[in-house]
Amino acid sequence: MKTAKISTYAIAFLIILSLNFLLPRMMPGDPLTAICGEEALVEMTPELRTELMHRFALDEPLRKQFFVYLAGIVRGDLGYSYYYNAPVLEVVLEALPWTLLLLGSSLILSTLLSIIMGIESGWRRGRNSDKSLLTATMVMNGFPNFFIGIILLLLFGVYLGFLPLQGAKTPYSGLSGLNLLLDIARHLVLPLTALTLSQIPSSYLLMRNTMITTLKEPFVLTAKAKGLSEASVRYKHAGRNAILPIVTTTGVRVGIIVTGALFIEMIFSYPGVGLLIYNSLFMRDYPILQGAFFIVTVFVIVANFVVDSLYAKIDPRIGIDGVEHAH
Amino acid sequence: MHINYWKELKKNTFGKVGLAMLISVVIIAGSSPLLARYDPGEPSHSALKPPSIEHWLGTNDVGQDIWSRLVYGARNTLLVALGVGLFTTLISTVAGASAALVGGLYERIIMRMVDALIAIPAFIVIILVAAYVLPNVWTLIFLISILTWQGGARIVRAQTLSLKERMHVYAARTFGANKLYISTQHIIPDLGPILFAVFIHSATRGVFMEAGLAFLGIADISTSSWGLMMHHALRFYYLDVWKWWLLPTGLALSVTIMAFVFIGHAFETAMDPRLRVMEREDWQC
Repeated sequence: MKTAKISTYAIAFLIILSLNFLLPRMMPGDPLTAICGEEALVEMTPELRTELMHRFALDEPLRKQFFVYLAGIVRGDLGYSYYYNAPVLEVVLEALPWTLLLLGSSLILSTLLSIIMGIESGWRRGRNSDKSLLTATMVMNGFPNFFIGIILLLLFGVYLGFLPLQGAKTPYSGLSGLNLLLDIARHLVLPLTALTLSQIPSSYLLMRNTMITTLKEPFVLTAKAKGLSEASVRYKHAGRNAILPIVTTTGVRVGIIVTGALFIEMIFSYPGVGLLIYNSLFMRDYPILQGAFFIVTVFVIVANFVVDSLYAKIDPRIGIDGVEHAH
Repeated sequence: MHINYWKELKKNTFGKVGLAMLISVVIIAGSSPLLARYDPGEPSHSALKPPSIEHWLGTNDVGQDIWSRLVYGARNTLLVALGVGLFTTLISTVAGASAALVGGLYERIIMRMVDALIAIPAFIVIILVAAYVLPNVWTLIFLISILTWQGGARIVRAQTLSLKERMHVYAARTFGANKLYISTQHIIPDLGPILFAVFIHSATRGVFMEAGLAFLGIADISTSSWGLMMHHALRFYYLDVWKWWLLPTGLALSVTIMAFVFIGHAFETAMDPRLRVMEREDWQC
């Protein structure tokens, strides 16, 4: 029943679409302001007003407005930002690569680190090294991601001055080639560290748990009995089988990490979609807020869908009808 | 269910530390009128002052006493924790338990809804909605709850399905007990531990989300919110004020979240490990 899964994601998409459509139109006050942002009021002439009212079909019934809105989405028209004086899609797409860089590297790094930490910790269950790692991670789990970012900002801003605190590259530096890459990497260090630190605890706890359960399975005993090396039992046999929950939660983790990136980008003024959303909140630039929101949520839904479709292939024990994994 | 959870919680180090931290925050919140030395909302002419006998943690940019704001912030945080915890658990229970008990098309619709909501990044949606609605504490509790009940509902449904098949429920059924009797006499009481776990989990998420929203500047400025304090303090991070303004506030928030995380972890270690909530579902989403 593949259709069940597709319909789930279709519903998710529909919820996002209707939220994005209804929110600005349901608010008390002028819907045109809620759609175009407060910056648009500065340039608002009666002629422009009539034109915009007509463009968004605001003088028509809601159903007609929805079709006009849908047609816009299909054409890739997410509106126009009067603050940036550019189409929303253009502004968001310009910020997107930085967010993808931060997100992607943090997702890979936090996954790898928590898998290794979880395997080692689970293997040494109850020993001092496991206990201290568990305690340290539990404490870190109590720190909200933005506070981790702030601590790093203060630490490097006040005491350790060797890493850039803001932006994604040095402005007007004229760097190119390898130097430009190094500059980008240096700017990435602090946001990436903050985001990764905030992602590790939950994945580590999950990995450690699964590892402990897996180690009790008969096949691990078989592997040990065959006289395989400890490292081989730990990683190739137990670890490899314990990895599954980490893989299956990747979709959810993408959603969490996107939210985390929003805060981290704001703290380090990293020019991604998160900073864009924060600035649009501040400027009441509703078109950007909506456009960035739309792109980000659709990205997360697609990521969930892809992961969901892939892991049935990785582990045939998981049903593809979307019911099996509901327990 | 032959586990004495309270005993188990006190045996576990995380449980003990978590309880101690939570009790401290509750005491601070309860006695904030005594602990605070100024009205937390009262501005004064002495702005950005370092700590002194008069102002234990100095003053902020509009001359409000930071210590008093910090102490009153505990109230706001615990109110959100309690509100989101209770309301989310209520929605999760009603949706999850009824889906499992009624079954059929109703169950399929509810669970399809749950699956769809799980794929949506709830916090981002809350940010968008809050940007338009500009919620006060109560609307915020409502908003967070109606957008984050799905994970709990899934867990409650799974647990109800498993309880339905237990021997004593079968026994009751053979004696002629009807659905209503079984639900109220057997299933709902036995859901207790899992509901507590869902409550702790939702409360943690509520605290984090309220603080996060306020940190982004989406908050009722008349409340003493720790997230809002951090939002204002971050603008002055290059001055020395972060030592008594930004850091203590962030630590207070972290200690509160940590208390919930520790209690949840200890509680779930005592529970059937297969039912773990916290480790399946991150409180950050």
